Amino acid sequence: MKIFLVKLITLFALLGFVGASANEHEAAPEAQVTEKQETYVGKDFSLMVKDFLKTTGVNAILNPDPNELSATGKPMSDFHKGWGRVLMILVTFLIFWLAIKKGFEPLLLLPIGFGGLLANIPVADIAGPHGFLGVIFQAGLSNELFPILIFMGVGAMTDFGPLLSNPKTALLGGAAQFGIFGTLVGAVALSQYTDIFHFTLQQASAISIIGGADGPTSIFIATNLAPELLGAIAVASYSYMALVPIIQPPIMKALTTDKERRIKMTTLRHVSRIEKLIFPLLVLTLSILVLPDSTPLIGAFMFGNFLKESGVVDRLSDTMQNAMINIVTIMLGLGVGSKLAADQFLVPDTLAILLLGSLAFSVGTAAGVIMAKIMNMFPGNKINPLIGSAGVSAVPMAARVSNKVGMEYDRTNMLLMHAMGPNVAGVIGSAVAAGVLLSIFK
Amino acid sequence: METNLVLEGTKFMFLGMGTVFVFLVIMIVATNVASKIINRFFPEPVSIPKEETQNTQNNKKIVAAITAAIMHHRQG
Repeated sequence: MKIFLVKLITLFALLGFVGASANEHEAAPEAQVTEKQETYVGKDFSLMVKDFLKTTGVNAILNPDPNELSATGKPMSDFHKGWGRVLMILVTFLIFWLAIKKGFEPLLLLPIGFGGLLANIPVADIAGPHGFLGVIFQAGLSNELFPILIFMGVGAMTDFGPLLSNPKTALLGGAAQFGIFGTLVGAVALSQYTDIFHFTLQQASAISIIGGADGPTSIFIATNLAPELLGAIAVASYSYMALVPIIQPPIMKALTTDKERRIKMTTLRHVSRIEKLIFPLLVLTLSILVLPDSTPLIGAFMFGNFLKESGVVDRLSDTMQNAMINIVTIMLGLGVGSKLAADQFLVPDTLAILLLGSLAFSVGTAAGVIMAKIMNMFPGNKINPLIGSAGVSAVPMAARVSNKVGMEYDRTNMLLMHAMGPNVAGVIGSAVAAGVLLSIFK
Repeated sequence: METNLVLEGTKFMFLGMGTVFVFLVIMIVATNVASKIINRFFPEPVSIPKEETQNTQNNKKIVAAITAAIMHHRQG
């Protein structure tokens, strides 16, 4: 005990010494700070109140500071410093309403909305490089860390069983990626033939990835190719994902006949544990061989899935599925929200992004349904085209929509598990599409 | 920058969709092959048939008992 105490004391003494020497190094700048403080002179109380009033939010909104720079260090217009912020704060209230009252992806829209609210506060500069939103953004979004962590958690939540028992449905998940590339052409056409929008190919690609219906992938690509559009892209991506039950059914019904909607699919076979364990490694190996640019996303996804299927690290897989993904979701939401600052969001481009995003979703849904109809022309087990729409990732919302629409026509037709196949294949498909886009711009 | 953006975008589309499909087709083929190999060489130790054999044995016993009872009844 005595020896322990002595050791402890020596340790503290040592630490104190190190601390003291560090202080000596910092002594120079500290002296300057104290000097500055000494220049403070007593002020008249009325002057003090007047100075204080100049620092209020009301004043900042009414009389924008001409020297104020945006969070990215660029000059802003007076509108973006003043009323634009008020408008954006109202927009975040709208996001709260959508999330709470309408139940649109509240897990993400609430942190994003609140981040946006904080980012639009004048004077405090919370989204700036030294504000806490700015720090969060630097820590995990500008280096694409958070989307990757989310992907791990999603991987740990994913069950590839339905896909493994009917692998050909993966093609539906591929076809739905047409939403991405079709929109890409749409976005560049918009900037080529109109004078309002000028999207570069990088920006167009980042916008079109919304069609992948996969939040983390969208954020990953946007931070890589067009960080200036991140806020709008993330918000569009998550809001459309929430709107899947509204956007998809009309398209699905328009493209299918009554007979097709009643197709019953053969029951899924049992998938052994080893098959499930090998699959993540198999897909990762393929992506290493074909498209290494997609391996950050697919690698993280398969890592999570591999841990889950291994069955020996339930603690880790449980943490990924719950604690980790929840913590990262908070950070990711706030970080994305910091991009809802008026100067970055209240621009004409945002409108185009929202429009193109909904186009991307609709085209992807249609392509998946049409692909199922094409596959039905070939011999083999018939596929209910309603599960084609689940090819746009949006796990598991899109699969639930397929199930629901199927049940509308035949109460006994359970499509949920069949739709999960293309659904998870859609995640892989959009990660591959993302990899292609990244590799093009290397 | 006078390149035809739409043409470029269309090229992206063909390259992208091509890669996605090639990737998924290889994945489907590989998955099918892997599943066949796994199910042939490492079949899952199935516990259900054991129960079934027990059940059938039980059933046999029950059937035997019932037949015996019927026989007894008829004889009696």
